[in-house]
Amino acid sequence: MIRSRLTLASLVLGLLLAGPAQAQDAAPAAAEAAPPSTEEGLANWQVFYEVASHPRCANCHTGPDNWPMWSGPSYGEPRRHGMNINAGDSRVGAEALMCSTCHVTLSDAGSEPDPLPHAAPRAATPWMLAPVETEWFGKSSVEICNQIKDPARNGERTIEEVAEHVGEGAFQTWAWNPGGGREPAPHSKTQAIDALLTWAAAGAPCPEE
Amino acid sequence: MQLSVNGKIHEVDVEPEMPLLWVLRDELGITGVKYGCGIAQCGACTVHVDGAAVRSCQLPVGELVGEVTTIEGLGTPGALHAVQAAWIEHQVAQCGYCQSGQIMAAAAFLALNPEPTDADIDAVMSANLCRCGTYPRIREAIKAAAQTIRSA
Repeated sequence: MIRSRLTLASLVLGLLLAGPAQAQDAAPAAAEAAPPSTEEGLANWQVFYEVASHPRCANCHTGPDNWPMWSGPSYGEPRRHGMNINAGDSRVGAEALMCSTCHVTLSDAGSEPDPLPHAAPRAATPWMLAPVETEWFGKSSVEICNQIKDPARNGERTIEEVAEHVGEGAFQTWAWNPGGGREPAPHSKTQAIDALLTWAAAGAPCPEE
Repeated sequence: MQLSVNGKIHEVDVEPEMPLLWVLRDELGITGVKYGCGIAQCGACTVHVDGAAVRSCQLPVGELVGEVTTIEGLGTPGALHAVQAAWIEHQVAQCGYCQSGQIMAAAAFLALNPEPTDADIDAVMSANLCRCGTYPRIREAIKAAAQTIRSA
């Protein structure tokens, strides 16, 4: 009986001692985990939208007509890729002329980009259009926002996995170092990834129409 | 480094960044392949790498993987490729500068699609420019070559 009371007492004492300690541990963690505000989320989405809608990304994120686009500071009005190039439903040009006829697949992701203005850009991955469901060219911020977080249209990815994809892809490496006098995508790859993750942490809010 | 061109192995001592075009022309003396624009916009430098059309002005030789075929290796005077024979039959060439690239592009294309429509031909051959404007004859020659290939 005495023994069991002692046991109970030590258990209560243990809980009393442990309680505040646990609360102290939890307090800073809770502060860190406080999600960014919707406003902050939207500001970060805007950063990513500026990347996604930039010609270095959007020119090859085109729709079901499979035309790569030429747009950006060196092109004047946006227009279809010259030389009647259509990537076909294969998105790699297999139906007519492979993208790789002109766009070289580099063996090393660290290779320098092509230096010549107007030459065919190249990357350490076979050149192709992005999947048709990721159509960005000419799309609004809210349209791209809804696509990015829709697993049916983002390759069944969480936003964290989308961010990972941005980090690993050879096209994304090229977009910020495109060579040939082309304007790189805005911000940096790291900023784009951080923006995506902060936007996700804020609940992935999309702007109003 | 070593490269295989028209069935023959060559040893060259060049920088890996050197475009295949200049390795072929300046190092190996294979001059059927032409320099036009140097930026993949005209098609004059088209060769095959493992049978696929490639713009040799764009390909750093260090990135070359596969067997190169130039117009010199496509056919021989005694045994022309169907596209070369059709080129003569239809008297396609005017100045002739672009024809090596045109023929190589057409030969690679017909190997994949031996029954091309006019739209197919336009889709593939629009990236090969002819300043003389021989496009109608190019299209006719490609159709004739396709016929030859199908009946072979």
